[in-house]
Amino acid sequence: MRLDSAFADRVTALVLFALGAATLYGGYVMDRLEVRRIHPASIPGLVPMLLGAALIVCALALAWSARRGAAPDGAAPSTDTDNVAWGNFWAVVAWSALYALAAVGTLPFAPATAVYVAGFTLWFLRDGDTGRWPSLPTIAGIAVFAAFIGWGVAALFRYGFLVRLP
Amino acid sequence: MIGGLGEFVAAIGTLATPISLFHVAWATLLGIVVGSLPGLTATMGVALLTTLTYSLDRDAAILTLICMYVGAIYGGSRSAILLNIPGTPASAATALDGFPLAQQGRARYAMGLATVGSALGTMVGILVLVLVAPPLAEVALDFGSFEFFWLAVFGIVISGQLTAGGSPLKGYIAGILGLLVAMVGSEGIHAHIRFTFGIGDLNGGIGLIPAMVGAFGFAELLTVMWRRKAEMVAQKKGPDRTVPHFIDVWRYKFTILRSGIVGTLIGIIPGVGEDIGAWGSYALARRTSKERDDFGKGSMEGLTAAETGNSAVVPGSLIPALTLAVPGSASAAVLIAALFIHGVRPGPMIMFEAPEFVYLIAAMLLFATIAILIYGLTLTRLFVMVLRIPREWLMPVIFVLCVIGPYALTQRLFEIWVMFAFGLIGFVLRQMNYPMAPLVLGIILGDLLDKSLRRGLTLSNGSLEPFFTRPISAGFAAIVILSIAANLPPVRRQAARLIGRFTRESRP
Repeated sequence: MRLDSAFADRVTALVLFALGAATLYGGYVMDRLEVRRIHPASIPGLVPMLLGAALIVCALALAWSARRGAAPDGAAPSTDTDNVAWGNFWAVVAWSALYALAAVGTLPFAPATAVYVAGFTLWFLRDGDTGRWPSLPTIAGIAVFAAFIGWGVAALFRYGFLVRLP
Repeated sequence: MIGGLGEFVAAIGTLATPISLFHVAWATLLGIVVGSLPGLTATMGVALLTTLTYSLDRDAAILTLICMYVGAIYGGSRSAILLNIPGTPASAATALDGFPLAQQGRARYAMGLATVGSALGTMVGILVLVLVAPPLAEVALDFGSFEFFWLAVFGIVISGQLTAGGSPLKGYIAGILGLLVAMVGSEGIHAHIRFTFGIGDLNGGIGLIPAMVGAFGFAELLTVMWRRKAEMVAQKKGPDRTVPHFIDVWRYKFTILRSGIVGTLIGIIPGVGEDIGAWGSYALARRTSKERDDFGKGSMEGLTAAETGNSAVVPGSLIPALTLAVPGSASAAVLIAALFIHGVRPGPMIMFEAPEFVYLIAAMLLFATIAILIYGLTLTRLFVMVLRIPREWLMPVIFVLCVIGPYALTQRLFEIWVMFAFGLIGFVLRQMNYPMAPLVLGIILGDLLDKSLRRGLTLSNGSLEPFFTRPISAGFAAIVILSIAANLPPVRRQAARLIGRFTRESRP
């Protein structure tokens, strides 16, 4: 899966066009505050309208430059696709989302952090090819490390920076 | 000018206290460690450290952030030389000659040379900062709404153009997206709420710190874990040393001076940053060098030019940040946010409200430079060890800081969601070759652009004329229009045709 291909640029152009059109429309229908008798040139929707229009122009230019399957302006692909691991990427996104968006705020911060750090480290120390998990001493080391980070960061922010933890 | 140097010396005296030196010591070391680890950038380091400096007093907080910035830009050279992976984008040019030197068994010498180049580059930039910032602030006092509008547009356009590699269009798009982000929330003239979709948390707008921590912290983490691991170069045993020979440094004195000036000037251009400073200096050194054939194969001159250039950008980027509140780089953008948090209002009035502060910043840069010189020439082994820290252990800690840092500022869970969203958006945009600097600059300058345009139009009763007729405005407008036009394919083709014809006619 390439994110720096001409096809990706065409899809992005479509998304940007829609975003530009929505912003242009949003700026146009935005309250012009006539009740407050403001100068018509200072209406709040003016700059969003201009930005929406500019984004539409850029989206059209992007679609035009990606029309023949070439990256815009001859830019070379930046990523060596053989050297990336999408499985790792999705694992990080899922685990980090679970921690940041669900666990923090619902569970106590220190144990939630410790579990996140332990899970992350354990998953990535696993041998990707054979699926073998790390040895028991390594797992014990991970547990100590995770607990240290969890309670250490919590203590630093609670007592050092006087932050009311989530 | 001489008075400025006197103020600078006085600021050095003010900073020379044990507690300040302690802050310099730990923050610069931390900066070097952050910069040397591939995936951890200077901007990320400064953004994360900002969240840890809320409780420090103003000078200590800014000092630690500047030390982190200088240290991280310098630290990037370590992994560039040893892994052929720039620790920060600013060190990409360093890898071209640093890695071949390491392969030849001269890794320590390359690191020593990079250290001296970085230190000298920063010093050139500091000198320019001390001499240029006060008069620039005075010029900026003549700026009105019309000029500030064009300054904001100039920043976005030039940043978009210079940071987007082969496709300025993507730079412009990134800038517009940043400006759109700045449109969310209460606007600055009538306090009208825009584009919040009924979400109360958005009324105050999208915070710069959560957005930056997401775009530079979480997005970097995703990139690092997405890529496969890099291997450190097997170092040959040989007659290697860390402290460069004086003759080598002296031989490249003009390269150092030129790269320092080029880096500083590039730093002054809004939102361009250290990587362009390094590439610009490297390209110029290559063009003028007698050893140009060695560039890319382990040239000491190339390495020196790249490192001098990227480090000189740091003081350069602080010149517009302090005097115009327009950041010269992404890291300087975070520094501006930190200045506001700590009660400093950067902009043209700074030379009236806190004239000593500009010199204090220059003194902080000098202390950080001395620290990198000491660390760089004495702790080579330690930094090689740092590169061996496995990413599996480091990255979850980084993410925990990405989560708790933005939260600590306002103590709202909403900031964590913003950070997460910007991390994903930043990752996707980065993989699609959209530069991050114009995006950040757009978020910073959106309010200025919005207010200046509407205020200007109100002052001129809806007429656009003053935007094009006032001298400074006209200058900015001409640069913006010409630089956009120069990138349009028909204009480029026409220009190439004209140049070709001129060359043929002038040939004897």
